[in-house]
Amino acid sequence: MKKILAISVAIVTGLFVLGGYFFQDQLSPFLALIFDWGILLAGVAGLIGVGYLLRWHLSKLINHKKGRFHSVVVLSAFIFAFVAGFVLTPQNAFYRDLILNIQVPVEASLLAVLAVTLLYASLRLIRVRGWSPMAIAFLLSALVSLTLDLGLLQTGSDSLAADLLGILERLPLAGARGILLGMALGGLVVGLRVLLTMDRPYGE
Amino acid sequence: MTWSLVGWAVIGLSALMLVIFNILFKNHKAYPVRRFPAVDRLTASRAAALERGKKRAVILGHELWSPAYPGLGLGALSIVSPLLEAEQVKAGGQVIAAGDGGLLLLARQIAVGRYRDGFSKSLIESDLGVILPGMTPLSFTAGLLPELRSQPYGSMALVGNVGPEAVLWAEAVADIKEHVFAAAGPITSQAVLFPSIRDLIMGEGVFLLPGLLKARTSDRAGFLTEDILRMGCILLLVIGGILKLAGIL
Repeated sequence: MKKILAISVAIVTGLFVLGGYFFQDQLSPFLALIFDWGILLAGVAGLIGVGYLLRWHLSKLINHKKGRFHSVVVLSAFIFAFVAGFVLTPQNAFYRDLILNIQVPVEASLLAVLAVTLLYASLRLIRVRGWSPMAIAFLLSALVSLTLDLGLLQTGSDSLAADLLGILERLPLAGARGILLGMALGGLVVGLRVLLTMDRPYGE
Repeated sequence: MTWSLVGWAVIGLSALMLVIFNILFKNHKAYPVRRFPAVDRLTASRAAALERGKKRAVILGHELWSPAYPGLGLGALSIVSPLLEAEQVKAGGQVIAAGDGGLLLLARQIAVGRYRDGFSKSLIESDLGVILPGMTPLSFTAGLLPELRSQPYGSMALVGNVGPEAVLWAEAVADIKEHVFAAAGPITSQAVLFPSIRDLIMGEGVFLLPGLLKARTSDRAGFLTEDILRMGCILLLVIGGILKLAGIL
């Protein structure tokens, strides 16, 4: 019975939202209500997610697992931010400064590590993939894009060279559109399979 | 004819094809499943990790739904079920990480649903290992990296909506010479993962993954529908290009 209820709710909601794309005027009041419910449910899911996060770290601490020092840091930071947020409220300027002055530098440092890792990964391209046509094409396109972005190549507006440069500059866009078209078709089929209950990611 | 009508026609046609192929493939010879060596290596690495007593990670991404890539979250959830093989769960060490409360709950629901359906008597709910290391992309990274470094992971699969920071997780596992597989959705993550991961599935291949792991009738129907839609799209683009060159469009 539970399964049938879940399936029915999923189908009706899905069809309603799908219909809303095409009959916006007629369905907009109901769609707004459905989206509000969706946002509310996502918020509740987020709260449950926080609960899972805390439980995971607590279990690491209790079971003396490796990496429990990180759990101590996470739990302490959470309790501090939670209590301070309750006492001072998130609108308080001091509280906002305090949190942002920790959060922003930490995230910036993580992004810096990411930049270095990306550079390192790019240098390992041939070692990972070998001299395959895809790897060579990737390398060449990266080099060409970097060179073009430097702006060193200047041509007259109506010359053949300008046309060639234009084609080269548009190539990444064309490639991205190709990938996005494929993904859109894939997304369409996945969505329809859920609507037709061939797939049930809301509970098998 | 409006674009709205074209949209309905494409959606209706796709739904019709899915239903028809699903019925046809139940009774007749099914559409063949193409082989992806990357998927074969994922299966092999998970089995090898199990034999060596190492953990297997499946990362489901940060978002269940995003406006730019709406199907990715659902696509990621679709692989949870085929990956929950009895022996993989019985041995323990199967970790599913999600960066979104909705993803986490649905992944857990799928796992528990299989338990309730009597899929495996040895499947214990508390051993399911569905975790949420962080709720934003960077906090997820900060939570996941220590886990990957401190526990013996033998295989990692990245699916769903992951950002460029996924390269940090991939490098953490690749550094200890273990297998990393990715079917990463967004274009940015495809681009950053391409140089560092050999077993990477890109583009529409991402949505084929559940069927590549364990092909059911509905997966085969989906493959054929997607192939027909893709061929139709290519044909239309080519015809449109020719008409434009000829000055008709």
